[in-house]
Amino acid sequence: MGANEQKETITCTINGVQVEVPKGTRIIEAAEQAGVGIPHYCYHPGLSAPAMCRMCLVEVEGMPKLTPACVTQVADGQVINTESEKARTARTGVLEFYLINHPLDCPICDQAGECKLQDYAAQEGRKHGRFLETKRVFGRDDFGGDILYEGSRCIMCTRCVRFMREVAGDDALGVVQRGNRSVIDTFFDHGLEGSMWAGNIVDICPVGALISKDFLHKARAWDLDRTPSICPNCSQGCNIRIETRDNVVMRLKPRENPDVNAYWMCDYGRHRYEWMNRLDRIEAPLVRDASGKLVATSWQQAVTELVERLSAVRGKAPVYAVGSAMHANEDNGLLARLVEALGGGTLVFRSARAEDEVVCPGFPKLARRCDLAANVRGLEALGFARTGDDEAKGGLSVPAGATLIVLGDALADQPETFGADAGLFVYLGDQLGDAARNADFVLPLTTFAEQEGTFTNFEGRVQRFWPALQAPGLARPAWQILGVALAGLEVVPAPASAADAFLQLGAAFGAFQGLSYEIIGPRGALLNESVKITAGGAEVV
Amino acid sequence: MAYPYRHDKEVRILSAHFGDPAARTLEGWRARGGYEALKKALEMGPDAVIEEVKKSGLRGRGGAGFPTGMKWSFMPKDDGKPHYLLINADESEPGAFKDRELLRWTPHQVIEGALIGGFAIRATHVYIYMRGEFFEPAQIVGRAIEEAYAAGFAGKDIMGSGVDLDITLHIGAGAYICGEETALMNSLEGRRGQPRVKPPFPAAVGAFGMPTTINNVETISTVPHIIKNGGDWYRQWGTEKSPGTKLFNVSGHVVRRGNYELPLGFNLKELIYDVCGGIRDGRSLKAVIPGGSSVPILSADEIDIAMDYESVAAAGSMLGTASVIVMDDRTNIVKQVRRMVEFYAHESCGQCTPCREGTAWLAKILRRIERGEGTEADLDTLLEIGANMTGTTICVLSDSAAAPVASSIRKFRDEYLALIKREARPVAVAAGA
Amino acid sequence: MSVKNPGWAGETGEFSHLTEADVRGTDFVGKRPAEGGHPGGACSYPYMLAEKDPNAPLFEGPYRERLKKILSRYPNRQGALLPTLNLAQEIRGYISPETMEEVARELGLSPAYVRGVATFYTMYNKAPVGRYLVQVCTNVCCNLCGADEVMEAFLEATGTVPGETTEDGMFTVVEAECLGACGFPTVVQINERYFENVDPTEVPAILERLRTEAAASKNGASAPAPGAEGSGEEA
Repeated sequence: MGANEQKETITCTINGVQVEVPKGTRIIEAAEQAGVGIPHYCYHPGLSAPAMCRMCLVEVEGMPKLTPACVTQVADGQVINTESEKARTARTGVLEFYLINHPLDCPICDQAGECKLQDYAAQEGRKHGRFLETKRVFGRDDFGGDILYEGSRCIMCTRCVRFMREVAGDDALGVVQRGNRSVIDTFFDHGLEGSMWAGNIVDICPVGALISKDFLHKARAWDLDRTPSICPNCSQGCNIRIETRDNVVMRLKPRENPDVNAYWMCDYGRHRYEWMNRLDRIEAPLVRDASGKLVATSWQQAVTELVERLSAVRGKAPVYAVGSAMHANEDNGLLARLVEALGGGTLVFRSARAEDEVVCPGFPKLARRCDLAANVRGLEALGFARTGDDEAKGGLSVPAGATLIVLGDALADQPETFGADAGLFVYLGDQLGDAARNADFVLPLTTFAEQEGTFTNFEGRVQRFWPALQAPGLARPAWQILGVALAGLEVVPAPASAADAFLQLGAAFGAFQGLSYEIIGPRGALLNESVKITAGGAEVV
Repeated sequence: MAYPYRHDKEVRILSAHFGDPAARTLEGWRARGGYEALKKALEMGPDAVIEEVKKSGLRGRGGAGFPTGMKWSFMPKDDGKPHYLLINADESEPGAFKDRELLRWTPHQVIEGALIGGFAIRATHVYIYMRGEFFEPAQIVGRAIEEAYAAGFAGKDIMGSGVDLDITLHIGAGAYICGEETALMNSLEGRRGQPRVKPPFPAAVGAFGMPTTINNVETISTVPHIIKNGGDWYRQWGTEKSPGTKLFNVSGHVVRRGNYELPLGFNLKELIYDVCGGIRDGRSLKAVIPGGSSVPILSADEIDIAMDYESVAAAGSMLGTASVIVMDDRTNIVKQVRRMVEFYAHESCGQCTPCREGTAWLAKILRRIERGEGTEADLDTLLEIGANMTGTTICVLSDSAAAPVASSIRKFRDEYLALIKREARPVAVAAGA
Repeated sequence: MSVKNPGWAGETGEFSHLTEADVRGTDFVGKRPAEGGHPGGACSYPYMLAEKDPNAPLFEGPYRERLKKILSRYPNRQGALLPTLNLAQEIRGYISPETMEEVARELGLSPAYVRGVATFYTMYNKAPVGRYLVQVCTNVCCNLCGADEVMEAFLEATGTVPGETTEDGMFTVVEAECLGACGFPTVVQINERYFENVDPTEVPAILERLRTEAAASKNGASAPAPGAEGSGEEA
């Protein structure tokens, strides 16, 4: 539809609420606009609709039979009722059919608490079962990769089959057999292990039929805290939820963003969260004392001493700073400003790269990108230059006597002597490796999962994330530490919040000018550059 | 000549050559007036053919009784897309055995009708979808197609008319549901034979995504006769709303089972007692299913009705395929209903939940009742399950499974109660023991 | 009242002068070439045959020709899936996982998809069956006329339970749903042939007839039933 063409809209009434929707809107979507949720299983907004679960049957005035809301387009002036006696009876009836052979093993089912069968049955199912016969039993099947299939729990909505065909582009699942003997299966011993996208079928399974081996019996859904975030594991910037229990990340789940990842995320990103749970963290600021030993101290003392030392070298020594693509724009941005305040210097970062992108066939905007860190594009926009190889190793050459500041890079590949001949070595990080032990200041950082901030994805989209975990010990976000240091150098006032720190970026870096957390909103906002997306990634025009 | 019996009251149009092996060949068929109608149709042009069929009032013989001419007129014109005509030869409705006779005795009658129908809807290709089990008819029709091609009646420039029309026999692999028109399309496309949601209707988006019409074998076999003799000629038989003749396929406990071609509106009682010679072994009648196993059952005192679409519906059942299943007084109604329900459970494609789960549940309850472990409450449950299965699914297989259960409980409740009371265990069962 | 033609257990009613060949149309069909004849009829070959070889190659020689003809009749390769599976079963007697993979490869489909389709249809044998697959209709019309007894008689005469193959590999007896010949109960489909109006007493004679045919076929004589010329044997 051209931009000048007027979009035709129609009006319909759903449960007494009048809504105006574009022509072609399906009843189930129009109902959502009217604030009416229509129960459904087989319908998923990211997939084709087969209208086979029969849960979304609604009464449309003038139609003799109940109508599936997932495939029927609303007509102008239509009056739709989802709560009529007829519609409710049909739903209760359909729910009973779902439950007769269901094992009712909610106490040992991972889906309990976020199960649509449980939810709808509680809402409007029959009070008592009246199925006196022997239940049909299917066993458990290992689909390969991270996926287990519990046949008896399956409600045959075929979302998984359609996902694999339509989105993953790999017709690896099918309905085998027919009638009430139908099950979902792979081709005999072929599994899903080769698929980059199979993990999504666990998310879209409305019941506990498809479950994650990784999450198996690990936590109850109702015990989880869910925090919106951005996947840090490549530069795609998939919108995710970090799901935690007792301050431990249990799993990552995709969160809808039609501009970035639709409803999906890749398995590469999904399964790389254990590092967020590492316990061997730096928990207090360490400052090298007169005897040359690193000694734990308070933040006040550490920052005071840091400002003193920085003031001493300001404008006198070359500065060499290493940023991190796993840290926020705010963190790296304030590092860049600090370098500038010290008289300017070299800004580098190292980041792992995969050889190939893995594009999602059914939603080509989404790919596991080559850059295996979230904020490569952000670092580039802030003036950092990539160095090192594709495994994020090597490439660091610190001039003798330089002021060396490392943020977030664990320096795992560097020798024990790294930074030994620097004039001043400040290390901000979460792990204390051998190379970092040479630092004069070791300052404990939060990971992205423990702080608020933004990442800039491959196409220059700035997206927000929120703290999902409590930081260990005295760990603080880098923007806060560096902000205080900059204030100490009397450059800018210390930012009071991540939002403040972000606004300071806008003042200093053209790419971020005019952006704020409000403007970023739920779908992200593009940097101030025109961006062209190509198959090979983003290209700045 | 019907097969294997005939009766004077028959009007033998479609069935004139049943039992006549010589009519199978192209030569034999032409000697009996075959392919004259195709030639005439090609001269008339597609619109005139549709008009003639409309005039005849011919209604689909696959069960739904939709007017054939009107169905054809839904096909778009000049849309530049390939059109398909599918001939539904998937005859699988328990009780129906008429299409098999048409296919094996008069293959050229089917092919000629298919070519005329294909021409009328501007089809590029006609597929005859025959059920897999019909290997013998398939061999015969396959051979007849070869003959039709060799004679220039199919393929390029048929009969020198400039019209190209291919015809292919496609055989299925064992699935009752493929007789449902959209499931048939899916099956033809190499998919699982699951019915599709309508709309879109086949005339807009059918086989391979193209405009498609589907006609039953019996319907399409009638077309050459209408084209040859005119629509008005066909209306001399039958009723105003249900014109013409129909193959009545009678099975079960009658003396002379078989196919009888009679005018629509023929009396069911007369069909059973006169045409078919009454009930076997001198027994009396208990029940009749008038239109194949999917339609509600009639008790012995309900059979004095005219066998046309409207009258059977008025009597609370359906003409369906006019497949009359006759049951004598020794029949165990519960057992036969259970057997029919087991069939639907076996044949449910499994996509819609009420059908997938409901058919199997009905069968389980009926088996339990048959074992003497039922309760009266089970009858209410059966009726309610049936109600929940009716009108809630994509196709009507679900409704079909529920129909004989509901009608038999209503009309033969005593038989259920007799089984229920045979064993004094209902309390234990009800408690879930 | 009913007139029996003892050769094939069919009730011919008033037409007892018809031979089995007349009714089955054997003369009209004749011997059909393994390469499929005219493409319009190339999908019409029976695929439940006595002669089958589970290890025979698919799609070679005349069968490659037939497959080409089949493919020419559908607007896409997926359309040819059922006819291709039919051809595979005609040659091998059942659809093994390996066969599914070969068919998938041939048609450019995924093996899981082919498995989904193959398992939907009951006529595809997912495991080998005996030389003769005996399918007894027990649905309502046959059931009213004693189909359960006919089923029993077949099981008793073969000494098997449903789905089991006799030790000599001759017979597998299964229950079938309506075969569409309800006027001729009980209907029994044995491989590609229908035996109609079967009553329990005739079962031993039918099995004997099949054994004779099998022996004749092994001695090099051709079986009387129509079918693809040399299908199976040539493969």
